[in-house]
Amino acid sequence: MLSLQIFANGLVLGGLYACIAAGFSLVWGVLNIINILHGSFIVLGGYLAYYAYAKLGIHPFLSILIAAPLFFALGYALQRALINRMIAAPVLLTLSLTFGLDLMLSNGMLFAFTADFKKLTLDPPLGVLSLSGIVLPVDRLFAMLLALGLTGLLYLVLSRSRIGRAIVAVRMDREAAALMGVNVKRIYAVTFGVGALMAGASGPLLAMIFPISPLSGPAYLGKAFVICVLGGLGSVPGAMIGGLALGVVESFGGLWFGPEHAVTLSFTLLILMLLFRPTGLLGRAGYS
Amino acid sequence: MRPVSIRSIAAAVLAAAGVLLAAGAAAQGVIRIGAPLPLTGPLSPEAQKLQNGMNLWAETANKAGGVKVGAKRMKVEIVYVDYQSNTPRAVQATEKLITQDKVDFLFSPFGSGAAKAASSVSEKYEMPTIAATASSEQVYDQGYKYLFGVYTPNQTLTEPLADLVQKQAAGVQRVAILARNDLFPLAIAQEMEKSAKKRNMNVLYFEKYAIGTLDHASALSQIKALAPHWIFATGYINDLILIKKQMGDLGIEAPVVTMVAGPAYKEFVSALGKGAENVSSAAWWHPAVRYQSKDVFGSTENFNKLFRDKYGLDPDYGEASSAVSGVVLQLAIEAAGTLDRKAVREALAKMNTMTFFGPIKFGPTGQVNSLDPPVFQVQKGKQVVILPTAIKQGSLQLGVK
Repeated sequence: MLSLQIFANGLVLGGLYACIAAGFSLVWGVLNIINILHGSFIVLGGYLAYYAYAKLGIHPFLSILIAAPLFFALGYALQRALINRMIAAPVLLTLSLTFGLDLMLSNGMLFAFTADFKKLTLDPPLGVLSLSGIVLPVDRLFAMLLALGLTGLLYLVLSRSRIGRAIVAVRMDREAAALMGVNVKRIYAVTFGVGALMAGASGPLLAMIFPISPLSGPAYLGKAFVICVLGGLGSVPGAMIGGLALGVVESFGGLWFGPEHAVTLSFTLLILMLLFRPTGLLGRAGYS
Repeated sequence: MRPVSIRSIAAAVLAAAGVLLAAGAAAQGVIRIGAPLPLTGPLSPEAQKLQNGMNLWAETANKAGGVKVGAKRMKVEIVYVDYQSNTPRAVQATEKLITQDKVDFLFSPFGSGAAKAASSVSEKYEMPTIAATASSEQVYDQGYKYLFGVYTPNQTLTEPLADLVQKQAAGVQRVAILARNDLFPLAIAQEMEKSAKKRNMNVLYFEKYAIGTLDHASALSQIKALAPHWIFATGYINDLILIKKQMGDLGIEAPVVTMVAGPAYKEFVSALGKGAENVSSAAWWHPAVRYQSKDVFGSTENFNKLFRDKYGLDPDYGEASSAVSGVVLQLAIEAAGTLDRKAVREALAKMNTMTFFGPIKFGPTGQVNSLDPPVFQVQKGKQVVILPTAIKQGSLQLGVK
């Protein structure tokens, strides 16, 4: 019984993790950019949802629809204006750029919102769902379903739409895609915009569950890293599998080794994956 | 022998000028006190409280003319440095304040862990340091002479609480403890375990969670499966808000739920709403205490009033303890009649006086041993004192959802 509860906890957590990582993985896989801003985008999305709820009474699920286009535009503009200038540079340089931008963003948020943690508490609260002895908080469950839905939507876009296929083509081989008539610069901007959109859209979901603070970005970024390695870079199904796997591993790790070792367990798993299967569970060699 | 170069002469002159300037600054009549605080990062709410208390003391002391140093009066200035809730940086900040900013005295960084780490630096430089928020005895166990703390040891919080529960909640037998893996939260959890075992209670669960944990569902599910009567959770404000919320999510109920150190803050009640009801806690001070004192505030009521006038809300123990750190330093300087660090240190060690915070007398390790910490419970959205009996405002209520 306890194991089933722990497994359920892990899946719910995993769904959220999948959403956090999907955009990050895509940007890394397609543009070869480690987007340090990803964590702060999530936090900014969370603040958007918090203030929308506190001041305007807009439900966080609706805030996702507001956040999505805003963050897409932000990501697109950022990529075109700044990051595109360094697109051919070594990965460490682009990492420095996104790191610097992240410092500006998180300190800007610190200045605007102060460091105090804010908690988005739904009023009335959504309550809990009790299924044959397993208790699941409804807000987490909805968040997980929405997260998986978003990720699924992303996958559909990538596999069915023209622009999605173009993104995948650029990821597979940039020169060949250009030869096929794909406007690579535009695709880069669109992909970065999509990454930002995923981050901004997961913000409201996470804000309902965890307290938000301008400095909680790095925690989410750390999870995204581990999930990328677990699931494979650039692969949305990989991010989903990786996220769910990480959620379950952390949950059971907490049960078997005590909660203080849950994080150690996930990073040990990361190291093992890097040693034995560096392309991840679903990644393919050569595409990372 | 090499001829002395122009460069080295210039350097020596500049250094001498620097020293003279620094000496000149001190002679201008300002006492500078260094305060490394976690102004940003997860512990920033705590830093805000410490700043509020310290600033109120500095303002009040300056308005009264300054601190009496022998025949003259000197104003005080607090030099804040942000260490971003990162303990190694707190140590660096302490070193910088002493060696570069050349402060006269020091307040400790927040919390037992950082206070202990930084105390090695202040001891090396023989700098009298007042720790506003360090309660674990482990902080004071290095035989240092220059560290003084205004919080009583952790067991002075757990013992009265365990006593009360044993007397008023007979049948509480099964105890589960979840502790943040940090110096103070772990230390007080261990004291709780001792207090519980002493009263023949059964401690079924004792686990630690890593600093920065965002999800406690795993640990809480295990606790739920054990059906304890008393759940004791430790951490700082943000951890405890998250834990209590997740307890509600998982449908965990128990006769007694105690959390240290969060329920004393208004943020705990406002973040959790009904979820905070009947959560008990202990703290090192409560605005309901009443002391008449010869310090710059004069009485607890006056301190509360001045605090409310300046900040618009009632003070809690973090704000009071940082203010009393300033008060204690001021009293020591005035007793010593000089800014000489050894003399001030002696005055601190000998201190036995009444402040708005309560009677202050430091034990042989430098930790105060004269105070009576209150135990309280959140009832109908307010913190209600249930111990000590002298200032009791209500009784222990059982049942937490």
